[in-house]
Amino acid sequence: MSSSLPSLIVLLPFFGAGVMGFVYLFVPAGRNLRRFYVAVGIGTPLLAALLGLIVVGEMLTLPASASIASPLYSWIAIGSFEIDVAFVVDRLSAVMLLVVTLVGSLIHIYAVGYMWDDQGFGKFFAYFNFFLGAMLLLVLANNPILLFIGWELVGLASYLLIGFYHHDTANITAANKAFLLNRVGDFGFVSGLGLLFALQKQSGFDFAAIFAGLGGIDTAMLSLIGLLLFVGAMGKSAQIPLYVWLPDAMAGPTPVSALIHAATMVTAGVYMVARFAPLYNRIPDVGLFIAGIGAASALLAALFASWQNDIKKILAYSTMSQLGYMLIAVGLGEYSNGIFHLAAHAFFKALLFMGAGAVIIALHHEQDIFKMGGLGSRLPAVRRTMLVATLAITGIPIFAGFFSKDAILSYAFASGHTTIWAIGVVVAFLTAYYMFRLYFVVFVAPNHRSSRSRQSPSLTSLPRSMVWPLFVLAAGSIFLGFWNLPEAYGGSTWFSHELHLADHEAHLRFAKEYILDGFNVLVALLGIAIAYRKFVRPSHPLNAPIHRIAWQRALANTLYIDTLYDRLIVRPLRGISNWQDRLIDPKIIDGSLRGLVTLYRGVATQSARLQNGNLRWYALTFLLGVSGISLYLLIAIGGAS
Amino acid sequence: MIEILETSLFALLALGVLTGGLMILLARRPATHAMGFFIALLSVAGLFALLHQSFLFFAQVLVSVGGVVIVTLIMILTVNLREADLPPEPHQTRWLIGAAVIIAPLSLLLYQTLTTLGDAFPPVSDTFGGTRSLGTLLFHDGVLPFEILSVLLLTAMVGAIIIGKKEQSYDRES
Amino acid sequence: MTVNPDAYFAVATLLFSLGILGVISRRNLLVMYLSIELMLNAVNLILATFSRLHPDEGGTMIALFMIGVIAAEAALFLAVIVQIYRKKHTLDSDAFTELAQGKKL
Repeated sequence: MSSSLPSLIVLLPFFGAGVMGFVYLFVPAGRNLRRFYVAVGIGTPLLAALLGLIVVGEMLTLPASASIASPLYSWIAIGSFEIDVAFVVDRLSAVMLLVVTLVGSLIHIYAVGYMWDDQGFGKFFAYFNFFLGAMLLLVLANNPILLFIGWELVGLASYLLIGFYHHDTANITAANKAFLLNRVGDFGFVSGLGLLFALQKQSGFDFAAIFAGLGGIDTAMLSLIGLLLFVGAMGKSAQIPLYVWLPDAMAGPTPVSALIHAATMVTAGVYMVARFAPLYNRIPDVGLFIAGIGAASALLAALFASWQNDIKKILAYSTMSQLGYMLIAVGLGEYSNGIFHLAAHAFFKALLFMGAGAVIIALHHEQDIFKMGGLGSRLPAVRRTMLVATLAITGIPIFAGFFSKDAILSYAFASGHTTIWAIGVVVAFLTAYYMFRLYFVVFVAPNHRSSRSRQSPSLTSLPRSMVWPLFVLAAGSIFLGFWNLPEAYGGSTWFSHELHLADHEAHLRFAKEYILDGFNVLVALLGIAIAYRKFVRPSHPLNAPIHRIAWQRALANTLYIDTLYDRLIVRPLRGISNWQDRLIDPKIIDGSLRGLVTLYRGVATQSARLQNGNLRWYALTFLLGVSGISLYLLIAIGGAS
Repeated sequence: MIEILETSLFALLALGVLTGGLMILLARRPATHAMGFFIALLSVAGLFALLHQSFLFFAQVLVSVGGVVIVTLIMILTVNLREADLPPEPHQTRWLIGAAVIIAPLSLLLYQTLTTLGDAFPPVSDTFGGTRSLGTLLFHDGVLPFEILSVLLLTAMVGAIIIGKKEQSYDRES
Repeated sequence: MTVNPDAYFAVATLLFSLGILGVISRRNLLVMYLSIELMLNAVNLILATFSRLHPDEGGTMIALFMIGVIAAEAALFLAVIVQIYRKKHTLDSDAFTELAQGKKL
């Protein structure tokens, strides 16, 4: 079945971005323009969301394996080989489409309030819409080439938005870092695609054709392809070892962090693995490797998050940790659970970021949680919604995170990967600890700074557009879980069922599942209790912790991994570059060029001497040739005659 | 007797040709050049006569010796070259030797090629090269070149007059 | 008939070579002109010898045409020399380097 709606959905945000970019560049700034930007900047995502709902509604009436194709035009056609610019909505991309457009719309609305006073209001929305279009291109692409274009465009949008406050050099550095680390990942990704392309035997390079032809490629090569593709996911989804850009990416405006670096773009890696499910199903060893990387990243990020003080960095590490969960899921082959966690995570993590953004705005761009404190009574709406999101990410029952996370963990347990399961549980504990540490310190614990000078922190009042999206997302964070209610709780895993992915099957007896879930909840409660003990009823006055013990200091500094990368990679590279700059560039390359120039000039000068206009010279040179020919003839023919 | 006469005549004429050429080549003063030119052309005319080309001999004497040499002389007189106007030629000997070395292979080749054409002159009738036979040939086979040549001569005459005029427009411009 | 054709050819070749030598090695425009005339006459001599050698009067005819051409050429060449001399007051061929692009190196 085909329809033009998916193409329209992809093109709309690009169109909005183009219009706003044009207006921003060529129309002199004025107050009235803001209304225009709001209309276009919110209108296009809302319209895209509406169209997305229509398309998905249409699709649910079709059989599960059906998809809605939307060919736009033929891009490359070489003989029988064709790459189309075509979009496809199947069950998997439908989920992504809804997440991206719905959460994206909410964050756009939120951003109106957040960015209202910014000089670059129009630019911001142009970028933001551009990102949305790129992300939709990524998820709706019907072939890996188009997916890769989207993949790169979201990277570009991310780069532009991280460096949005470009007066500060640190932000530019952060943007560059994100961009460069993503290039490392993209190199793997594009190598994988190239390899896949080279080994393909049949014509056509859309997903369906690729999966049909996978049998013709031997497993070793498939594993290599899978690994290379996953390197791309490592970069995009901020996993070990390419994760260091994500915390720095928080330099961008908070809506950017919410949309790009929490809800959508960073999940592209997970989506990609799920999209290539038929490929990864053939190479379970690589899947295990992915799960291992996911687990390690989850643990490391959770540890880092527990010792951070910057509210956005805590959330960034938390994002990385949750992405680790998703990769555990898709790595072990339970794709629908991974995607479900992705969707749930998009809601509650966007909510967390937006709540954090609200707090930051209210406190005039203060990000250190230990300088906040006691905000609960003054920002009740933010506090309540943040509590919902915190509970959701912690995995307390009835909230979305409980179902999505526990499904992943119990599957890991059921399929026999107990080590990964154990790591997952530890991470769950740490998650509970650091999230409630954040929550307690920001909202519940008394503000020691304001207790010293009571009237100092005058709060900025929050615009309505920043508050009510929080409630929508909070509702989502609460109720989303019921879409995928496990059978143990009387549900039918409707979501996973409808998603129709090539999942592996592993079942637990209900009793065991109850025990596991109960254990998880207990662990989470333990984390909450410790956080409560440390931060709400502190034994000594609550202050920004000064870490005296070496390992604590190391964790607070994220194990000096940035420094390590700097020493191991950046400095040697810079050394090599400098060396090239000093030696190879001027001496060898420039030198050889200069030598050539000198040579040419010399030859030219000498030959110009011949062109002296003197007739006798011309006759002489002419006769030299004639005489040479004569000599040759004399020797060659004269002897014979 | 006749053979001896002919051989000595040929030697004399050949000497005349080479002397004339060398006078042109080596001398410095225009009068000497004109003299050498005159001797060379006249000797060539003599050689024509020895080759039984009586008409060519007359044509050469009339046109080349009587026409071209005289015109050249008139030119030399008109221009009235002074010693100072002659170009300085400091390395003339060096140039001559160098050029001779360069030309030697060409001359040798030319000579070798030419000598392959025949070893002895066949006997010919008395009318060979005469006005009658040549005229017949000219008006049978060579009418068109002959007419074209007449046009060429006319053109050359007009051209020479125009070029040789004293006042010319491009003179004023430059 | 005792004189060999080779002797005529030798004379013609020598005359021709003298002509070339004159064109190359002398700077005097008048000498260059006369050298060209010498070369033409050398060719005429060769043609006449051919004609006698074969025997065929075609060669004579061409030599006759050439005498006409030589006359035309002489008229033009001399006119040009006169004109050139009027312009620069010299007969030095090295003084005329307008063919070179730009300055003389």
